[in-house]
Amino acid sequence: MPERKTIQSWLETAAAQIRWRRARPVLTRELAQHLEDQRDAFAAEGQENAEALAVEEMGDPVAVGAELDRVHRPDPQWGPLAAALVLAATGAVLRVWLTAGWSDRSADPVRSSLAVILGGIVLLTCYFLDFSALGRRPGALYLGSLAVCLATVAWGPEIANVAYAARYAALWLPAVYACWAFGRRRSGWSGLALTAAGILPPAAVCLLIPDTFGLLALLLTAALLLFSAAGCDWFGLGRRKSAWAALVFTAAAAAPMAAVFLRSRRLLVALHPELDPLGGGYSALAIRRALSAARALGEGAETAPPIQAVPNAGSDAFLTTLICKLGWLPFLAVVLTFALLMAWLLHRRARHQSQLGRAVVLAAAVALCLQALCSAAWSLGFTLLGGTFPLLVGNWNTVMDLGLLGLALSVFREERIARDAPCSALPRWRVKVTIQRVS
Amino acid sequence: MDLDRSLVSGSMALLVLKLLEERDLYGYEMMETLRARSDDTFHLKAGTLYPLLHGLEEKGLVTAYEREAAAGKPRRYYHLTDQGRCALTEKEASWHRYARAMHRVLKGGACCAGA
Repeated sequence: MPERKTIQSWLETAAAQIRWRRARPVLTRELAQHLEDQRDAFAAEGQENAEALAVEEMGDPVAVGAELDRVHRPDPQWGPLAAALVLAATGAVLRVWLTAGWSDRSADPVRSSLAVILGGIVLLTCYFLDFSALGRRPGALYLGSLAVCLATVAWGPEIANVAYAARYAALWLPAVYACWAFGRRRSGWSGLALTAAGILPPAAVCLLIPDTFGLLALLLTAALLLFSAAGCDWFGLGRRKSAWAALVFTAAAAAPMAAVFLRSRRLLVALHPELDPLGGGYSALAIRRALSAARALGEGAETAPPIQAVPNAGSDAFLTTLICKLGWLPFLAVVLTFALLMAWLLHRRARHQSQLGRAVVLAAAVALCLQALCSAAWSLGFTLLGGTFPLLVGNWNTVMDLGLLGLALSVFREERIARDAPCSALPRWRVKVTIQRVS
Repeated sequence: MDLDRSLVSGSMALLVLKLLEERDLYGYEMMETLRARSDDTFHLKAGTLYPLLHGLEEKGLVTAYEREAAAGKPRRYYHLTDQGRCALTEKEASWHRYARAMHRVLKGGACCAGA
């Protein structure tokens, strides 16, 4: 009995030739659409066996599948993955080495090694994840993440009234928010309103922790996302209206943040620590004193105060320790390596096609870059916002940051099959008023 | 009389890029337009078209996006990029050079005119 030529069997044979399993449904969808068009055209001409003719018209499924297999292969990101792991391992070695003999404040070699190993596992897991799955269920992801953060706030460990575990979890909130915003595309004003309102629950979580850095990263991501969304007309309102809405949102978000900073005198003290030498300015003054004796390469002058005198010299101010113990050049090498990694990430993002991918990379890059900026500024004596340098300092912090980087790299790994789910066009309503003269 | 396949296969990218110069098209629409415009001479198989389109997308000569077609079904449209426009100009120029040379050779005798 001759084999029946069906669209399904043709697609299955073609798909079987494509070795990259995740690419199969993406690629065969377009072929299926073509086959259906061809079948409908034959049926419209009055042909009885329209489906078989359409399949015949397509050609050899094995040849087609093999050709597609040749074009579509995952784009491995081994270089950036290796760079991230090397940075994390270097950070662990430096922390253990430079803080050795600091009694209870020295870095634990076992914990630091475990953090790098666990971070590596998380990095690779996120890298091999299908990032597009995040865009398929943005609501569930958003609610689930908020629930996890709230649970860690409620039951997680606390140090000085700060829910520390929740601070690590909050590093992922910008990425989760990006998926939430992506899910509101093509929903008009309601989509825009939900995107803007969607920032409130995660912002409330950051205030509960409390985590000023997390809040800033979240608001900055949201503002950048809204401007980026306006450029692509995500909400179907037109670019100009969306840009105005983004501007209003940014102003509304920036105003209370600025008010908090100004009222708490944080900015003033960060700029002039001598105004509050025993309070908020103490860390900045200690850091500046320690740095004043630093050299280009090698340990600073013996006249300098001991580095242990600097508060958080093993965490937030670890880069100060690095400068004082090894010199400015190793500091520049580490910071430049990280900056190059981030520049590469943003450069790739600019060329990327999928809007979900761009949103996810933006959120990850904002969280990582902001941490780096805050930490570097703190370590140089500008103590506005504390934070550990990503990938280099901190155990859980490193694990979460490696995960974020893995997620961003997974976007580029699947770049060749990155497709945003189509949205139905918005219905356009127009009210027409006519005035007629009745004679 | 059927056209020799090898004559067409080398020019497929040029034909596809030329079609996309006017407006964005999806695969099936592209095939039908090509067939109609060439009086059924260029009968492109879909199995040739899609790997070619994906290859052009990979090179950055075209980009693709999903949109609802006239019938309300989602279709993957292809759009010619600036890089693709440059490539099209180059390919057109080399095609014209090739066609002129072929014509001169096939006409016979002209090659020795300058000698």
